[in-house]
Amino acid sequence: MRSTCSASEPGDLGAAVNEWEIAAAVLGFALIPCGAVALLADPPHGLAAMQVGSVLLATILVLLSEGLHRQPFIDLAVVFALMSLVGSLLFARLMERDL
Amino acid sequence: MSPTAVVAVALLIAGGLIELIAVLGLCVMRDVYDRLHYVGLAGFGGFLIGVAVLVRESFSLIGDKALLVGVVLILLGPVMVQTTVRSLLIREFGDWRAKTRDGSDQ
Repeated sequence: MRSTCSASEPGDLGAAVNEWEIAAAVLGFALIPCGAVALLADPPHGLAAMQVGSVLLATILVLLSEGLHRQPFIDLAVVFALMSLVGSLLFARLMERDL
Repeated sequence: MSPTAVVAVALLIAGGLIELIAVLGLCVMRDVYDRLHYVGLAGFGGFLIGVAVLVRESFSLIGDKALLVGVVLILLGPVMVQTTVRSLLIREFGDWRAKTRDGSDQ
């Protein structure tokens, strides 16, 4: 069966990965130290790491949407950017006394 | 490569580097109040990448929303940080106005 995706054709490796996907991959690796700090450090430090990680993840979603040419996927980034703020505010509020 | 593509790639690299510096700062700093500085820096990186998408795609569905994500990250990041610091001060001292970290009254 012939594939409908032209980027996966043999001999078309030059267009297989573009600069947006490379940037998304690099930032994806940058999530690893954020996750390590969030898991291993005290809760206030973990909250700071989670906030940096949420900014990174929103950016990664923008990059993947542009890199994969799936424009509707950028709605995920918009929703995630707003909802990560709500989640961070909730954790900050809980951290005053309960965590 | 068109000038527009060059500008977009330059903004992409600048934004990515800023976000990597933010992650590096998060890992290097030892105090939580120092670490929280890098949330705002990461937001600026996201904004530059949103502008890069806007330069590449012009004002379209993806360009507008990429810019929106960048603006949200820049504008709401400081709100998030200030709220977090206030909560951490309450956690540490009981009242965010009570004392500074060196123990003197404000």
